[in-house]
Amino acid sequence: MSAIVPTIAPRTTWTSYMARRRRALYISSPIGLGHAQRDVSIADELRRLRPDVEIDWLAQSPVTTVLEDRGERIHPMSAELASESAHWTSEAFDHDLNAFQALRRMDEILLTNFMVFLDVLEEGEYDLVIGDESWDVDHYLHENPELKNTAFAWLTDFVGMLPMPSGGEREAFLTTDYNAEMIEHVERFPRIRDRAIFVGTPDDIVPDDFGPGLPSIRAWTEQHYDFSGYITGFDPSPLIERREELRRELGYQPDERVVIVTVGGSGVGGSLLRRVIASYPDAARRVNGLRMIAVAGPRIDPASLDAVPGVEVRAYVPELYKHLAACDLAVVQGGLTTTMELAAARRPFLYFPLRDHFEQSRHVRHRLERYGAGRHMDYDASPPEVIATAIAEEIDRPVASRPVESDGAARAAELIAPLV
Amino acid sequence: MATVLATDRRHSDATRAREPDATGFIERDGVRVFWERYGDGSPTLLLMPTWSLFHSRHWKLQIPYFARLFRVVTFDGRGNGHSDRPTESSAYADTEYVADALAVLDATGTDRAVVAGLSMGAGYTLRLAAEHPERVLGAVFIGSSVPILDRPDGGPEVQVDAAFYGPQEPEGDWRNYNADYWRRDFPGFAAWFVGEKIFSEPHSTKPIEDGIGWTLETDAETLIAVEPGPYLWPPPEWGPRDPFEGRAMPFARRVRCPALVIHGAEDRLSSLAVGERLAAELGAPLITVAGGGHAPQGRWPVLVNRAIRDFVRSIGSQP
Repeated sequence: MSAIVPTIAPRTTWTSYMARRRRALYISSPIGLGHAQRDVSIADELRRLRPDVEIDWLAQSPVTTVLEDRGERIHPMSAELASESAHWTSEAFDHDLNAFQALRRMDEILLTNFMVFLDVLEEGEYDLVIGDESWDVDHYLHENPELKNTAFAWLTDFVGMLPMPSGGEREAFLTTDYNAEMIEHVERFPRIRDRAIFVGTPDDIVPDDFGPGLPSIRAWTEQHYDFSGYITGFDPSPLIERREELRRELGYQPDERVVIVTVGGSGVGGSLLRRVIASYPDAARRVNGLRMIAVAGPRIDPASLDAVPGVEVRAYVPELYKHLAACDLAVVQGGLTTTMELAAARRPFLYFPLRDHFEQSRHVRHRLERYGAGRHMDYDASPPEVIATAIAEEIDRPVASRPVESDGAARAAELIAPLV
Repeated sequence: MATVLATDRRHSDATRAREPDATGFIERDGVRVFWERYGDGSPTLLLMPTWSLFHSRHWKLQIPYFARLFRVVTFDGRGNGHSDRPTESSAYADTEYVADALAVLDATGTDRAVVAGLSMGAGYTLRLAAEHPERVLGAVFIGSSVPILDRPDGGPEVQVDAAFYGPQEPEGDWRNYNADYWRRDFPGFAAWFVGEKIFSEPHSTKPIEDGIGWTLETDAETLIAVEPGPYLWPPPEWGPRDPFEGRAMPFARRVRCPALVIHGAEDRLSSLAVGERLAAELGAPLITVAGGGHAPQGRWPVLVNRAIRDFVRSIGSQP
C-alpha cells in the first residue's frame, strides 16, 4: 500500500507596498577585471544615500571573488550563469582578441544568462536593476519590452561598436548594423533605460560616427546618457602621497628603477610578457638600476616565460595596485581599468592594446590620450629593442597627465538613487 | 540584405553555454545518428531535427535554458552535423527521421517527451505525434512547413517541383532553389536561403552567419538526395484521401496530445495560413509573431523559450 501524501495547493505571498523592502539587483560584467571594483564602490555610495536598500548581486567569476571578499550577497542563481570569461579566454590567442566578434559569438551565453535573469526577477520583488555593461539585459529588454517590471539603470564606459581594419568591409557593415539596432532599440523604447550612465565625460567619447548614415557617437551619447566621470573604485591620493613610504614597504630601494609588467588575470598576454622580458637586457644597458618584475598571473605558467637574468617572474603579487602606484614605469595591455589606475596613480606606463580589440584600440586609447596618460604602443611594430627604447624614454618623463576624478562613484549613485 | 560571407572557421565551434551531459550514436540500417542529452529534470523535451540544411545547433538558444528547467534530448538529423549522410533519397523519408527519434528516445532512456520541431521538423513532429502517441506528451510546431492548406484544384501532388531538376531559371524569386545551382554555388545558395528566406528580419546577421555555417557542414549532393525524400504522405491503410485537402491533414486529425503552434506573420517559406490551419485542426493555441520570419526560435528566443516553458509546465500540471 502506498503512503498517503497530502496534496498541498500552491501558496503564494503578495507583498503590499508598506511591507516591501527597497531591493536592487546588481549585475556586474565579468568581462575584464574592472567592473567589480567600480560596482562595489557605486553600491557603497548608493547605500550611503539609501541606507535601507538591499542589494543582491547576479554575478560570476571573477566578479564574485571581489564580492565574496566583501561579504556581499550573491544571488544563488548566479551559479546558473554560463561563463562569459571562459568564452573570452577561448576567443583570445597570442596578442589578439577581436572584441566585437567575441561579443557576437557570445550570443548563446548572453541569451542563456538573460533567461536566468528573468527567473531571478520573477521571484525577487526588485525595485531596481543596475546593469554595468550587462549586455544581455539591455539588449533583450529592448527586444522584449513587455518583460520589464523594475526600474533599470544601465552603465557603460564606451558607446558604439567600431570596426577594426583587419575586419574589412564586412566588419564595418556588421558594426554599423549592431549600432543601428541599438539606436533603434533605445529611441523606440526610452522607457527601458530609466538611467543611462556613461562612466566618463563627454570628452572621453570617440569622435567617430556609429557608421554610414548614423549619428555621431558623441552627439547621440550626450543626448541619451548622463555622465558620472571616471570611477576608479579607489581613492588614489593616499597612494600618491605615500609613494616613498610605499616603496620602502614593498622593498624597492631608492636607487632602483622598478618596471612592472602585468597582463591582468587573463590567459591572454604570455606573448607580450615574453617580448617585454626579452627587451630587458637592452633596456638595462640604458637605464641604471633597472629592475623588472613580470607578473604572470594565475593562468600563465611562469616557467613558460623564458626569463632572462635580472628579470623577476612572479606568479602572483598581492595588492598589485600598490606596486603599480610605487613603480617607476608599468608595461600593460590596453584594458581600461589597469591603464586608468595607472593614470589615477600618476605613473608613467606603456600600453599595448590587444590586436583587433576595438574597445582597447579605439575607445580606451582615445580616453587615455585625452588624459595625456601613458604611451600607446603597437604590438606588431614593437620588437624588444623598440620596447627597450620606450622604457628608457618614458621612465624619467615627468607625468603631466590630467588628474583622474575621484567622485565618479558618488555621482553615479546620485543618478541611480532616485530609482530605488 | 547584404551578402553574407562564409563564417570564420576558426570559431565554428564557439563556446557553448552548456555542454551535453551525454552524447552517443544510434544506428539504423547502417546510418549513424548523433544525439545529445542535457540536464536531469522532468519532463524531457525532444528537440527534433529539421531539414538537413541545419543540424541540432539550430536549437542553441533553447538547449541551455531547458536543460536547466527540464531535460533535453536532441539529435543531428541524418544528412548534417555528426550524423551520416546516406546517398539514397529513401533514407531521407520522414518515416526515417521519426524512427531515428524513437531510437534516440530509447537510447536515452526516455519513455515519453514533449516534442518540438521547426519548419520540416514540425512535419516530423506531426508524424511522430500522430503515429506514436504513447511517446509524445505534447507537441510544439514552429514555423511549420507542412502541406496542410486546401488544394482547390485537387490535382496530383508531387514531392519535388520539376523546376528543381532543370537548368536554373534566369529569373524568379525561387530560381536559386535548383539542383544545378546548388552544385555550382552551394555557398551562394546557403546565403540566399538562410539570409533572405529563413532569417528575413532586420538585424539578423548572427543567426544568418550561424545558419550558413551549419548549411556548409553538409553539401549540395546530400541536400539533392534529401529533396525527393517522402514527406507527410498518409499511409494507404488510413484509407482514401480527400484530394482537395492538404495531405498533412490526416496526420493533424490523429494528434491527441496537447499542442502549441508558433508562426511568424512574415514567414517567407511557409505562410502564416499554414500555422493557422494547423492550430485550428489541432485545437491548439497559436502564437503569431508579428514581424517575425520563419525561425523565431533563433531570432526571438525569449518569446519562444517562455512560450515553450509555459506549455511544458501546463502539461506537467495536467492530471
